[in-house]
Amino acid sequence: MTSHADAAGARVPTSRYLVATPRLRFWQRVTWRRRVVPWLFVLPILLINVAVVFGPAVASVYYSMTEWSGIGEAKWIGLDNFRRLFTDDSFYRAFRNNLIWLAMFLTIPVAMGLVAASLLMPVRRGAMLYRLSLFLPYVFPSVIVASIWRSLLNPDRGIGATLSDWGIGGLDRAFLGDTDTVLPTIAFVDNWHFWGFLMLLFLASMQNIPADLYEAARLDGANRWQEFRDITIPGIRPTLVFMILMTSIWSFLTFDYIWVLTQGGPAGASEVLSVLVFKAAFTQLEAGYASAMGLTMSLLAGLIIGIFIVLRKRGWEI
Amino acid sequence: MNRPFRAGAARRGISLIPNHVILMLLVLFAMGPVVVLLFNSFKTQAEIGRNPLGIPTDIVFSNFPEAWDVGNFSTTLRNSGELVVVTVIGVLVLGGMAAYSLAKMNLPGANILTLYLLVGSALPIQLFLVPLFFLWQRLGLVNNILGLSLIYIAINSPLAVFLLRSYMVQLPSDFEDAARVDGAGEWRIFVQIVVPLAWPGFLTVGLVVALSVWNEFLLATVFLTDQDKFTVVTSYFNFTTRFSRDWGLTSAGAIMMILPIVILFLALQRRFIEGLTSGGLKG
Amino acid sequence: MNLAFVARSRLIVSLMLVAVVLSGIGGFATVRPATAQGGPELTMWLDVTGGSTVADCIVNDVISAYNAQGGPQVNATLQPNGWTATQTALAGGAGPDIVITPGPSFANELARAGQIIPLDAIAQQYDWPATFAPWSLELGRSGEQLFSIPNEVETLVLYYNKTLFETNGWTPPTTIDEMMALSQTVSDAGVIPFAHANAEWRPANEWFIGEFLNHIAGPEVIYQALTGAIPWTDPQIAAALEPLTQLQTNGWFMGGLDRYYTTTMADASSAFAYGEAAMKIEGTWFQADADTYFDEAGQEWDWVPMPSADGSEIYSLGIGSTYSINANSQYQAETAEFFNFYFSPATQATLVATCGLAPAPVTIPAENLAGLDERMARIIDRLATAAAANNYGYTTWTFFPPRTEVYLYEEIEKVWAGDITMDEYLAGAQAIFAEEFAAGGNPPVPARS
Repeated sequence: MTSHADAAGARVPTSRYLVATPRLRFWQRVTWRRRVVPWLFVLPILLINVAVVFGPAVASVYYSMTEWSGIGEAKWIGLDNFRRLFTDDSFYRAFRNNLIWLAMFLTIPVAMGLVAASLLMPVRRGAMLYRLSLFLPYVFPSVIVASIWRSLLNPDRGIGATLSDWGIGGLDRAFLGDTDTVLPTIAFVDNWHFWGFLMLLFLASMQNIPADLYEAARLDGANRWQEFRDITIPGIRPTLVFMILMTSIWSFLTFDYIWVLTQGGPAGASEVLSVLVFKAAFTQLEAGYASAMGLTMSLLAGLIIGIFIVLRKRGWEI
Repeated sequence: MNRPFRAGAARRGISLIPNHVILMLLVLFAMGPVVVLLFNSFKTQAEIGRNPLGIPTDIVFSNFPEAWDVGNFSTTLRNSGELVVVTVIGVLVLGGMAAYSLAKMNLPGANILTLYLLVGSALPIQLFLVPLFFLWQRLGLVNNILGLSLIYIAINSPLAVFLLRSYMVQLPSDFEDAARVDGAGEWRIFVQIVVPLAWPGFLTVGLVVALSVWNEFLLATVFLTDQDKFTVVTSYFNFTTRFSRDWGLTSAGAIMMILPIVILFLALQRRFIEGLTSGGLKG
Repeated sequence: MNLAFVARSRLIVSLMLVAVVLSGIGGFATVRPATAQGGPELTMWLDVTGGSTVADCIVNDVISAYNAQGGPQVNATLQPNGWTATQTALAGGAGPDIVITPGPSFANELARAGQIIPLDAIAQQYDWPATFAPWSLELGRSGEQLFSIPNEVETLVLYYNKTLFETNGWTPPTTIDEMMALSQTVSDAGVIPFAHANAEWRPANEWFIGEFLNHIAGPEVIYQALTGAIPWTDPQIAAALEPLTQLQTNGWFMGGLDRYYTTTMADASSAFAYGEAAMKIEGTWFQADADTYFDEAGQEWDWVPMPSADGSEIYSLGIGSTYSINANSQYQAETAEFFNFYFSPATQATLVATCGLAPAPVTIPAENLAGLDERMARIIDRLATAAAANNYGYTTWTFFPPRTEVYLYEEIEKVWAGDITMDEYLAGAQAIFAEEFAAGGNPPVPARS
C-alpha cells in the first residue's frame, strides 16, 4: 500500500482522480490518502445510517431505563427493567428458544445452501432454471408462505393426509399445535423460504474462485469432497463467515414466521425474544420494558459480533 | 484464470448426473408448495374446498383480473417500484463505496465501524418506530417515497456493505496494484476496476435488497399512510383480509405480487450467467 | 483489462448517480397533496386487521353519504396496521384527525398523554347524554373528563347448529351443568361439541375465559376483582375456570388441543355449519360469517344466552373500538360535527343493518332496524336491556388492564397443557393485576347500580 501511494505521489497529477485533493505536501498527501479518503468513501452511507439508526438507538437506551407505556411521559426508574428481565421466566424461555433456533439455522440452511451451490456451479444445462426454482421460495412474503404451509400441514387435508392415503402414516398430525413439535415446524417453514437465499449468495461468491485452482486439484487427483473442502470452502470463506454471522444475528431477531403462524403459542412453546418485545410494546403498553428486552437482544448479538471481530484481528481473512 | 471452472469440468468429462439428481430433489422440495399455490390461483373457491392440493380440473382465469382490480395493483406497483429503484441504487452506490473502503483501502477504525453497523442491525426495528417517526415527521419525510427509501437504505446497508466487502476481499489485487502504480486515484480504481470485477456480487446484493424492500410491511404501513402511497404489500394485506376465504383470489394476488421480482431475478441472473460463460473473471 | 467492459460499467455508474439525484427530486416533489379544494379534510384510519369488508362498507355507505352533503370532507383509508401506525404517528405529533383505538385502556393512555382532547363540552353541545347509554359515557372517561366514545358494542352468546340439534333432539343448554352434560352427549354421537380454534387469533382464548368468569362466578364477583375488592386468587374464580379446562382436556373444543391450536377460522366455521360441530361460544361479530357458512351448507343456526351457573341470563359487554379527537387536529370542531353525524341513531342503524357492524351504544329506534336479521336484532335488544339495567358482565379486552389481559389469555394455555396449576396461574394474574391497578393503568369500570 505504501509503495503505491509513494508512486502515485511521485509520478502522476493525482488531483484529477482523488476526491478534491488540495495541494498538499508529500507526507500530508500520504495521510490524506490513507486516513481521510477511506472515510470519505464510508461517510455517505454512515450518515444515513446514523440518522436512521443511531438516534433511535440512543433513545431506546434511555427508554429502557424508564417506565413508559409507549404513549405518554416516560418515568425514570434506573435499572429496574433489567432487574425484572433477569427474573422473568418468559424471557428465559424465549431466550432458550432463540438458542435452539440459532442452532437449527446455523446448520441446516447453511449446509443446504453450500451443497446446492457447489453442485450447481459446474452445471450449465438448466442452470438458470435451477437457480430460479431454488431461490423462488425466498421471493414470497411471509404471510403467503405461512398460508401455503398452514394448508399443507393441515392434518386432514394437507400432505400428511395425502401420504397417509398412500400408506405412509405418522405425518397426519397437527405439528403446529403440539408443544414438542411447534418450534422445529416453524423453523422448517422459515428454512424452506430462507435457504435458497444463502445458496444464491454462496454461488455469487464461488464465481470468484479462479478456475485454475480446481484444474490443478484435479491434476493432483483430488475427489469432489477434497475439492469442496480445500478449494471451495476457503475460496468463499469471507462470504461464508459473514453469512454465518448474519444468520446468528437474524436468529435473535426472528419474528415474522412465528408471529404469523403461532404468535408464540401454544403454551409459550414457540415464544422468542422479538415476539415478547412486540407484544410488550404494542399490546401490553410496556414500551419501556420492551426497550430493555430489545437492547438485551442486541447486546447478545453484539457478543457474537465481538467474537467475529476478535477472530478477524487474529488474522483470519474474513 | 481465464477459463471458468465449468468449462474445465465439462472438458475433463466429470459426470454431472449426481449433481442433477440431488438438485432435482431440492427443486421438488422448493417448488412443490409454489406449484400448489399456482394451481390454486386457477381454481374456483368451491374447487379449492374439494381439492386443496391437486391440479385444477376446471381452469378459471378470472382470479387474475379480479385480483388486479381489488388489489389496486396499478397504483401500488408504481409506488413499490419507485421505492425499490431508489433504495437499490442508493444501497449499491453508497454501500459499494463503503465496502470498497473496508475491503481495499485498509480503513483505519474499520472494527469500530463494523461493530457499530452490525450491532445497529441487531436492534429490533419495532423499537425505533416512535423516535424515527418523530424525526421524519419534522423533516417532512413522512408519506414520502424518498423518506422511506432513506430508512430502507440505512437498514439494508449493513448486510449490503459487508456482503459486497466479502466479494471484494476475494478479488485478486493485481489490477488495482497496477492501477495504483499508474497513479490512479481510489475513485477511479473503485469505478473502473473493482465494480466491474465484483459485478456479480453487486447484482446479487441488488436483488436481495430489492426483495427486502418489496416485501417490507411494518415500516411501509407506518410511514406511508396516504392511500395513493400504499405499497404492494400494504394493499395485498388489505386484500387478503377482505377475501380471506377466497384462497383462489388471494393466490392469484400473490402470484402477481411476486412476478416483478421474478422478472428482475431473471434479468439480473441472466447477465450473471452470461458473464460466466463468456469467460469468468474478466481479465 | 477489457476496455469495453470498463467503459460500460462507468456508464452504468454514472447513470445510477443521475438516477439517484432524479429520484430524489421526484421524491421531494411528491410531498403530501394539498387538502381538497379549500374545505377542511378530516382523516380517518380504519384498522382492517380483523377483516376489511366492514370497513369498505363504512366508507361506501356512510362516509360517502356524509361527504355528499358538501361540508367538511372525511378521507377514510383502510390501514392494515392501523393501531401501530396511529400510536406511532400520535407520538410523533401527527396522526389522523379521528383517532380510533382498540379499546378503553388504550384511549385512557392517549388521554393521559394529552394526545386526544376532552369531549365534555362537545357532549353538552350535541346533547349526547340523551342518546348515549350512560355506562358508555362513563367508560370513555379518564380522570374526571370524557375523552373517548366507545363504539361497536359487542357481547358473546352460545350459537348452535339448529338443524343438527333438531335432527338429534338436543335442547340448547341454559346452565353450565346442562352444557357439560350435553357436550358429553354430543361427543358420544360422534360430533365435536364446540367449533373453537385460535390458530389465526391467539387471543380467542380470552373469549372463553371472560364467558366462564362472568357466567359461573358471576359479574358481581368479577366487578369486585376488577375494583380490587377481592383478589384474583379467590376460590370462586378458580372454580369458574375449571369447566373450561375440562372442556379443553376432553378434546371438546375442535377435537383436541392440537386441533384447537391449528384449525383456521374458516375450517372451524365450516365444520359448525355442516354439522360436524354442534356449538360455538362467540361474539356478535360472528353473525356475518354464520350467514355465509350456513347458507353454503344449507343448514340453520340460532343462539341462546351463554349458559350460567344458575340459568340466569347474563351478557358480557365488550367494546370493539373507541373514537376520539386528535389534540393536533386543526379541525376539532369539524370532527366533533362528524361524530354527531356518525353516532346519530340513523347512521348507526345503517351501519348495523347494511354493514353488519356492531352498533355504538346509542338507542336505535326499532323501526330503523327493520330488515335486520331477527336473531341479530334479538341480541342487540337483549344486550341493551341488560346494559341499561347495569346488569352486564365484563369482557377482558374492555375492562381488564392490558398486561393482565395478555397474561390471562396466554398463560391459560399452560394450565391446559398441565405445565402449571390453576392456582399458580391465578396467583400470577393477581401479581400483575396488583401492579397495574396500583399504577392506575386499569380502564374505568362503571359502578354497578
